Amino acid sequence: MNIATVESWIEAPLKRYVDEVHAHLALLLHPSGQVLAQAGFTREVDVMSACALAAAVYATAGELGRHVEGRAFGGLHYAGPQKQLFLAPVATSRGTFVCLTVFDDASSLGLVRLYFAELCRDLADAAPPLAARTAAPSFMNFEADLNRNLAALFGRDEVM
Amino acid sequence: MSLVNYATREITCKIVYYGPGRSGKTTNLHYIYGQVPDDRKGKMVSLATQTDRTLFFDFLPLDLGTISGFTTRFQLYTVPGQVYYQTTRKLVLQGADGVVFVADSQAHQLAENIESLQDLHANLAEQGVDARSVPLVLQYNKQDLPRDFILGAADLSDALNFRGVPEFAADALHGPGVFETLRAISELVLKRLSAGTAPAAVSRAPAMAR
Repeated sequence: MNIATVESWIEAPLKRYVDEVHAHLALLLHPSGQVLAQAGFTREVDVMSACALAAAVYATAGELGRHVEGRAFGGLHYAGPQKQLFLAPVATSRGTFVCLTVFDDASSLGLVRLYFAELCRDLADAAPPLAARTAAPSFMNFEADLNRNLAALFGRDEVM
Repeated sequence: MSLVNYATREITCKIVYYGPGRSGKTTNLHYIYGQVPDDRKGKMVSLATQTDRTLFFDFLPLDLGTISGFTTRFQLYTVPGQVYYQTTRKLVLQGADGVVFVADSQAHQLAENIESLQDLHANLAEQGVDARSVPLVLQYNKQDLPRDFILGAADLSDALNFRGVPEFAADALHGPGVFETLRAISELVLKRLSAGTAPAAVSRAPAMAR
């Protein structure tokens, strides 16, 4: 399965996890909706949409849990006719992330939960400590690039 | 929280369109979506009620192209404006790199505009974010309506723009002001990122495959 990560320490634990649970798709994201890793997606835009929606589901389930139980739900499972999804937080030294797993009859919720616990341990072990802030991207005279690209996007001739 | 990948020279930023109900936040995104070529935008996702009011958010991923050597992507979100969606507004606002406040120029909506702007500042503060540090642009929408029904940009500026941030009169339904607003918030977000004062996840890892 095609796996891509923004941070390299995520790759091995995630690969092991998707292999063990025979996941169709997997996403690791920041709760704000930014993608950190994906497995099984074929188009980047699908990844972005899935991240935004997964972050929304995670956030609303958390709030709902706080309302009815006094604390956020630990995980969320949805069983569709053919596919199921499991959504749960992963705590690491780099912060809490959210993992979305999509699987089918080749797996089971029990199996997913079993290996998800392992994924949480592996990611917690693999996460490097937060490094001191590295240099910011240097945007030298970026206004010209920005104006040209936006003008092109909006089909405008003039650069503002 | 911007996501910066030095290895692939990619940056992803989150922009939230905020404002009172029916001020035109979703209309802004619809206009942008309609203008941008297919290969530069993702699918627009709208979580709306049956009457097309935003229930949770609208989401539009946008590829801004290469800026100073970085492939730059913006993720545009709207929040539901109605007062009773306070919780969902907070959730969508999480991790925002910049905010566009879309004000409704209709005179009778002034109190709602002020309340919504106060709500924005309160929600940012609740997340531990100093509202003065967040890139913000004001848009005075619906300036195409008859003069008798709306406040001019100068009046709205007096009432809302106490920070002296960039402000634009707009007609989001037909386009005027939409582009200028997006350009201004993009510039502020990138300037802040460049200055090193923006929260960011920085990576030197291999490419995020498509």
